[in-house]
Amino acid sequence: MRNGGRARLLLVILIVTSLFLITLDLRGVKVISGFKQGSQTIMSPFQRAGSAVFSPVKNFFSDVTHLGRTQNQIKKLEAENANLKQKLINRKVADAQLNQLKSILDLAGTAGYKVVNAKVISQGSGQSFAQTITIDSGSNAGIKKNMTVLSQYGIAGVVKDVYPNSALIQLASDPSFRIGARIAGTQQIGILSGRGSRSASLQLLDNSTTVAEGDVLLARGSIADRPFVPGVPIGYVTGVDNSAGAVAQTATVRYYTNFSTLGVVAVVLSGSGSNPGDALVPAKPRVTPIPTVTVFVTPSPTPTK
Amino acid sequence: MFTRQISISAPIFILIYIIQESVISQFRLPGGGFSILMIFALTWAVLSEFEVAAVIGFSAGFLMDLSQSAAGPFGQWTLIMLLAGYAISYIGYGDDNVHANAIGIVFFVVVANLLVEIAYIASGALLGVSVGSFGEVLLTLFGMSLWALLVSPILLPIFTRLHAMIFDSRSAL
Repeated sequence: MRNGGRARLLLVILIVTSLFLITLDLRGVKVISGFKQGSQTIMSPFQRAGSAVFSPVKNFFSDVTHLGRTQNQIKKLEAENANLKQKLINRKVADAQLNQLKSILDLAGTAGYKVVNAKVISQGSGQSFAQTITIDSGSNAGIKKNMTVLSQYGIAGVVKDVYPNSALIQLASDPSFRIGARIAGTQQIGILSGRGSRSASLQLLDNSTTVAEGDVLLARGSIADRPFVPGVPIGYVTGVDNSAGAVAQTATVRYYTNFSTLGVVAVVLSGSGSNPGDALVPAKPRVTPIPTVTVFVTPSPTPTK
Repeated sequence: MFTRQISISAPIFILIYIIQESVISQFRLPGGGFSILMIFALTWAVLSEFEVAAVIGFSAGFLMDLSQSAAGPFGQWTLIMLLAGYAISYIGYGDDNVHANAIGIVFFVVVANLLVEIAYIASGALLGVSVGSFGEVLLTLFGMSLWALLVSPILLPIFTRLHAMIFDSRSAL
């Protein structure tokens, strides 16, 4: 009985402590954010190490599962082969990151953005239903909260939290992500919301305007370029909801960025000062004509019996 | 006694938290993946008495709140895991079908894992945390439960042995 009473008392104390923590956080008390910052400062070297160790392994998993079943000689050869493959994959990873980086710099260069490049060192855990990544640059590189993050194709997300040597990025696919968007060409505006996947939903603000499949969306930009610089490509419209009675048209949008393959990103430190307009709209893929061959068959003059 | 157990457990919790954040988080696993810290805490909670289970849940939740990927306010995971730890221990208390049976523990952990995530969504809705569309959430819940079902039996012997070493209980499977 005494034990039961003690357990209940402990439970009550812990519940009150939890509620106290929630209240402090919701009121924006800095002690709580200090806890998180301290934890992230401690964790970032571990995450860097984890990224360095597992970056090639996670891509290589499917290739090495068949190793270790045969005799010693074969094992040795397979190990050598695996080693070479791993080196090749490391090279491919580096090449892929280089390509991503080149494209990001092209994008940022065209718009005249000042950017800091960073490597993705951790993917957010799915347990909280949040879509986040951690990058290896932070406030020491000039990154601040609420800065635009670019991938090679366009918007990747926004800086949510900054630590000295790392930063937490809220991906554009996060359900709580919102961005003001405009349709390239027509200049109609709307609000785009993440859905937890590569598709997002667009709500137009004006009920007299319309949107069509294939329309390209660009970021409208924010005051002082934070959180969003103007002109960044977001995605394209894949479906339009024309249900009768709706206040304004809504549409489904597919992001240009593939969030599951992000290896390198760029954080926009400052915009170009002028709106790049539609200059960053990605070029439409050119259709290569396929040659066709026409065969003429002349019927034989002698009839078959 | 209680203080000694907690001081020995603390480094284990921190180690598992580091593994979760620096290793498991490197892989974007399909279906939302799994939380090794949550599985660990729930397994220990099944094997422990009420007050110990409550402290285990509280500690694990606190660490989960420290994670960068925690979307809700600080303390949300602490509260949920605390209640889950206490509840799971309360329900399984004195039931040898649970304590002495690996399948029973795995079942408890998987179901608790699912209920904890549902509680997180429900409390998140009250606190203004967006979790995505209904379909996505269902898919993630299903994926997480499947991962927990796959991972729990593998980790169970390690976690129960650690628990037996520290708490000197009868539950090493």
